[in-house]
Amino acid sequence: MSIEKFMRDAVTPWMTAYGEHSDIVMSTRIRLARNLTGYRYPIAFTEEEAMAVDRAVTGVLLDTMQSGYSYTKMSDLPALERQVLVEKHLISPQLAIPDRHGAVLLSADETVSVMVNEEDHIRIQCIYPGLQLEDAYKQADQVDDYLEKELPYAFDEDFGYLTSCPSNTGTGMRASVMMHLPALTMTKQIDRIIPAISRLGIIVRGSYGEGSEAPGNVYQVSNQTTLGKTEQEILTDLGNIASRLIGHERKSRELLLAKSRIALENRLFRSLGTISYARLLPSGEAARCLSDVRLGIDLGIIQDVDMSILNELMIFMQAGFLQQYASTELSQEERDIFRAKLFRERLNVDKSSPPTEINSEE
Amino acid sequence: MNCENCKERPASITIKQESVIGSLERHLCEKCAFQSQTFHFDPNQEPLSIQQFLSHWFSGSDPFQAQPQTRGEPLEGPECPACGLTFPKFLDIGKFGCADCYDTFRGSLPQVFGKLHNGHSTHTGKVPVSFNELYAVKKKIEEIRVKMKEAVEAERFEEAAALRDEANTLKQHLSYGGEDNDVD
Repeated sequence: MSIEKFMRDAVTPWMTAYGEHSDIVMSTRIRLARNLTGYRYPIAFTEEEAMAVDRAVTGVLLDTMQSGYSYTKMSDLPALERQVLVEKHLISPQLAIPDRHGAVLLSADETVSVMVNEEDHIRIQCIYPGLQLEDAYKQADQVDDYLEKELPYAFDEDFGYLTSCPSNTGTGMRASVMMHLPALTMTKQIDRIIPAISRLGIIVRGSYGEGSEAPGNVYQVSNQTTLGKTEQEILTDLGNIASRLIGHERKSRELLLAKSRIALENRLFRSLGTISYARLLPSGEAARCLSDVRLGIDLGIIQDVDMSILNELMIFMQAGFLQQYASTELSQEERDIFRAKLFRERLNVDKSSPPTEINSEE
Repeated sequence: MNCENCKERPASITIKQESVIGSLERHLCEKCAFQSQTFHFDPNQEPLSIQQFLSHWFSGSDPFQAQPQTRGEPLEGPECPACGLTFPKFLDIGKFGCADCYDTFRGSLPQVFGKLHNGHSTHTGKVPVSFNELYAVKKKIEEIRVKMKEAVEAERFEEAAALRDEANTLKQHLSYGGEDNDVD
């Protein structure tokens, strides 16, 4: 089964390759919500309807598309592997609930994932590294065009694409960029920026979605409005906000460096020490240290450590991945031990061989 | 100096607002300052969920009273024929049950969308190609129907018959595309 492959080479393109402004923007994601006419939405549908939707969507993508999609039904997948897909941001937590008839179609390079019977019948998702709003949208749009030719979409002249949640109606598009903003966080500017931005129809939140804190100073910036604006307008607005945030973050970094270089260096190197030598590494501390180390790399203070370390380890330090890596279930404390081990190995591997060899013992 | 907000009470508090564009100083009275603080400056407050948002909004002030809606529907409103959802239930769960809900609640939706999408309630983005084609054919049939009626009224029955055949052919195209439409 091809899901094995996904698990084995756990590094997904959006974690490794670099796009524009990749020192600050970790990834760009576009999500399109679509529904078919003639079937009720997952919140209200019967099992028969669920199966029919699944067959229709899967048929189109598997039979005719050249790019090699692989199909995975959620109810066929062990809980741990579902969790790993969530942690890699390839599926949503909601899709992972097994008794909801959800399934996912993943492209071979994991750039595109089409979720079937999530909150809507179809959720097309595209993740790119760095800031690549236009390219990511183009790709998602292509998949959408392809599906649209074969499937009767629920669309309304006034309201646009009809979705289950009224907050997605219209374009059905949610565009988001994941940003690493350590300097804005350290200087507490982010607390004032977030409410200001929210008045412009753009939301900023922790990387794990609504109401979550921002572990590792990673924030998700996305559009709130999906109705009354074209896709292009939404992308432009979000792109502008992202550019401003990048500018502010850069300026704050320079300021920190100019004002308190020694204190900053001290903090960053201590964090490098922690993740290089710790024997117990709780997730909160791990995230904080990773953010520091990544900042150190970006500022040229820390050398000989790979740039993708933050993107990768932020993903691999999560419970599902750790257990996958350990190939057994782990308790809280065991996870902290294992996380510390994983970090040490990753940092050592980094000095001798390319970063993708992390699972080379398989 | 009077408060910038209410312009009634004297300004006694200066608030410095930092935004992406720069910082801005606002001179407010105690009352307005308090309100603006509680409204904008609470980073600990989680964003409202859609359900909370909709139910707060509807229970706070009664918008049905304020709205000059002339549909004359009772508060319960119609029930969606496809999934059984009612409007109050929709506000409660914050989700539509199916695409037909949009038709069922059409009159009340611009209000809901306006609140959620910065005052917007009409889609301006992408339109599926298939929908465009379908729409074009429907429009064509509509035109033919008008001509047909004129022909019948002018007692040009032969022409009317030809038009009817044309409409029927188009109609077949439509049902081919998955949607049936009544021409006659």
